[in-house]
Amino acid sequence: MAEPLYTRRMTPRGLKDFLPKDAARKRAVETALAATFARWGYAEVITPTVEFFECLALGDGPELVEKMYRLFDREGHTLALRPEVTTPIGRIVATRLRDEPKPLRLYYIANVFRYEEPQAGRHREFWQAGVELVGATGPAADAEVIALAATALAAAGLEDFRLDIGQVGYFAGLMAGVDLSHDDRWALRRALLRRDYVALEEVLDRTGLPGEKQRLLRELPRLRGREDAIARAVELADNPVSRAAAENLGTIYAALAAYGVSERVYIDLGMIKDLDYYTGMVLEGYAPELGFPVCTGGRYDNLIGRFGYDCPATGFVIGVERLMLSLEGQRALPADAGVPQWLVSGDGSGRARALAAAAALRERGLAVEVDVLDRPPEALVAYARARGIPHVAVYTGAAPARVFAAPSYRELPAGEVQDLPGAGDGR
Amino acid sequence: MNARPLTIALPKGRLLDHLIGMLRSAGVDAEAVAAASRRLVVDHGPWRFLICRAADVPTFVEYGAADVGIAGKDVLWEAGRDVAELLDLGVGRCRLVVAVPEASGVRRVQDLDFNSRVATKYPRVARRYFNEQGIQVEIVPLHGNIELAPLVGLADAVVDVTETGRTLRDNGLAVIAAIGTSTARLIANPVRYKIRSGQIDELAAALAAAVAAGGRS
Repeated sequence: MAEPLYTRRMTPRGLKDFLPKDAARKRAVETALAATFARWGYAEVITPTVEFFECLALGDGPELVEKMYRLFDREGHTLALRPEVTTPIGRIVATRLRDEPKPLRLYYIANVFRYEEPQAGRHREFWQAGVELVGATGPAADAEVIALAATALAAAGLEDFRLDIGQVGYFAGLMAGVDLSHDDRWALRRALLRRDYVALEEVLDRTGLPGEKQRLLRELPRLRGREDAIARAVELADNPVSRAAAENLGTIYAALAAYGVSERVYIDLGMIKDLDYYTGMVLEGYAPELGFPVCTGGRYDNLIGRFGYDCPATGFVIGVERLMLSLEGQRALPADAGVPQWLVSGDGSGRARALAAAAALRERGLAVEVDVLDRPPEALVAYARARGIPHVAVYTGAAPARVFAAPSYRELPAGEVQDLPGAGDGR
Repeated sequence: MNARPLTIALPKGRLLDHLIGMLRSAGVDAEAVAAASRRLVVDHGPWRFLICRAADVPTFVEYGAADVGIAGKDVLWEAGRDVAELLDLGVGRCRLVVAVPEASGVRRVQDLDFNSRVATKYPRVARRYFNEQGIQVEIVPLHGNIELAPLVGLADAVVDVTETGRTLRDNGLAVIAAIGTSTARLIANPVRYKIRSGQIDELAAALAAAVAAGGRS
């Protein structure tokens, strides 16, 4: 039995608080992402935190299903906390948005829940910002999504990052005609998915696939680069499905040039990802500071159909905390997040002037704190210094405002403060 | 994006000298690691070496604190970390086995009682192995000198690595099952493997050549 103090004062494992500085940074990142999504014509949707388990399980593979927090409602239905948001959006599209003109452009910023071992940038509750472009097949839709991912990461302040794109159809085509048991097929896929080349060799040695096929599967992880990788992939493809997939990726990559993001984007046909979910282009984003992808996505043309309405879709999701970690690594998060720029105080008759000054500063978009403790100037300055508030203005009666400024917090000569409303003369 | 040195996590212990030799054949001068025997971080040219406990190498690599690392397959099984496994270095070969006291009369894992205790440094691997066999045992995690456990009645069996089986025999233990054979592997953080693929592929190829040359000599 846990000590009461423990459970009263701690949060459960993998769940965390955002204190003002981090909350302000998170809000800034999310605002930048949301503004970018909106400018590209994507509209926000908000779905419930809790849904029927059957609904969420429809979209999520066995790995995510295992990680769901499940509970029961009073009628005995199994509910679950959403482990991601694409499936709920699929449900909406197949039901309430079914008759809307397509394509639909939707975005979300939401907390999701997974019962898994907490690791860097991922807790049991974490935040995702993502977009879905629904009802559009074809490379132009995939290119838009990739370009938007690059634009959104840059808009959030990330400077050093890259996106890798692949096409799951390439691997699917290679495997289609292959004579392998279910277990061997799974082992092969897992080896490529995890980039376990030692296991890949073992499986290839053991299963005795034709030499040509073995060479292709060994080469698959090396189909990386830029246009050259696509050209090689087309040339190597031993079946029409793989060839079409490589050509599709080539078209998408070519379309990225006009968005001005090609520099950021690399080809990786060895990127296997979840084949039960993705049906075409796949993408992952990386920042050099972080050992985990900061964004992930791709085309998933079969998901919405599981809700009874066949509809293609493509999209991506950014891990908000992972993005924040990357930004921190690149020193691109504001150091003063969550701290006001001004502390304003006024005694009896100075108070109205102090409040008027605060209102005027706020009007200009500055964050202003008004003293409510009637503290003397020295105490206000000490408090401002401890909090990191760079400016202090003190209104005493009708006298000109006294202004103290960081870093020394010395009092500024009256001539230097004309910027402040009512600073010069209260009469 | 590649201004930083390539960070390589190496396991301290018996294998380290051998790995330094192997890296040398692959064109990576890691002598500085041997020279600076007490330092944990050694910078040398385009490389940075981290000297870690063997069991921690996968953790450093998964989190990206190291770009690549060298870890035994036994350690990778136990750690269950998400890392790319690029190359079998063929060294540090050992078997992960189930062993019991000779005198116990147990000859197969199926003979272990439902209330048997198994001492091990590899609790995850052991649990998975016995689950797959459908045998319910109690796993007793220990950090070293596993052979001691059956001698003093702490456990009925052990799961441990052995090179020659000698330590087990010396302690009156007999191998009744092999779980797997382990060798040292070159591993990489999956993201760094992409961002720095040129450098890492080059290292893997050079090490593969060194492994092949070593096998011939």
